[in-house]
Amino acid sequence: MFARNLFSAIMATTIFSLISALIFLLLDGIDVSLTEAAVGAGISTILFLSTLKHTDVEIKKSSIPSFPLIVLFFLLLGLLSFSVSDLPEFGKFNQTSNSQVTEYYINNSKSEMGIPNVVTSILAGYRGFDTLGEVVVIFIAGVSVLGILRKKKSNP
Amino acid sequence: MKHHIILRIVTKLLIPLILLFGLYVQFHGDFSAGGGFQAGVIFAAGFILYNIVFGLDNGRSILSSNTAKSLMAIGVILYIVVGFLGILLGGNFLEYNDLSSTPIRGQLLGVFLVELGVGLTVSNVMVLVFYSFNDISMEKQ
Repeated sequence: MFARNLFSAIMATTIFSLISALIFLLLDGIDVSLTEAAVGAGISTILFLSTLKHTDVEIKKSSIPSFPLIVLFFLLLGLLSFSVSDLPEFGKFNQTSNSQVTEYYINNSKSEMGIPNVVTSILAGYRGFDTLGEVVVIFIAGVSVLGILRKKKSNP
Repeated sequence: MKHHIILRIVTKLLIPLILLFGLYVQFHGDFSAGGGFQAGVIFAAGFILYNIVFGLDNGRSILSSNTAKSLMAIGVILYIVVGFLGILLGGNFLEYNDLSSTPIRGQLLGVFLVELGVGLTVSNVMVLVFYSFNDISMEKQ
């Protein structure tokens, strides 16, 4: 992002979210796509924009020299691109994460849970404890935002 | 927002559809795409749209910030209560098999209740974050 204007930066983030939602849709990840469209493109844009009301739209020119940052950027980019070659092949069946558990879920979800959508049965059933943690994290985040942004007059 | 007549009419038409879609994603989530998290966010987005176009006072008369706070906690409590019901009925934590007459019906009921808890918490957290941002800007004026 080289945008100095925060408004255009937010819009670029939203468009990026929509595009990645489309990519997830093309990869048959309907649930992930729906989440990305609703959370990434919908709610976070609204929250970013309401944050923008409290700050300046333009960023001040920073005094930090940008040359070391550019070097760091390309170093990280090189490292990450190098590690891409170690990732498993896309959609490969006989790798560990795709073979044992996935097969069990796909074969037994319908008979054990009676729910056609395997994603829901994993999220709320097989991995219900993880989802509980996720909900508690969201709850704590909400409480923290309320604590940070509370009204001054109600709490002298 | 008195003069934006197109915005007001289009929003009036859209909000029921957005809320309906949110409810569909919530309660049909075990048969089609979606679940409590997505549904909560969509529902909150519809409600925030109403707040933006028709004013915060109208929005707060529907869902006050105290109600939203209680609903946010009720969602988490509902999830945990369903989890402990599994223990009380003789299973493990968050085991839904004994919640109803047959294991399959128990699973359906458990997943339904758990997703309802997730949806309640997520939607109310989103609305509350939106409210608190606006409270800050009210103070500044």
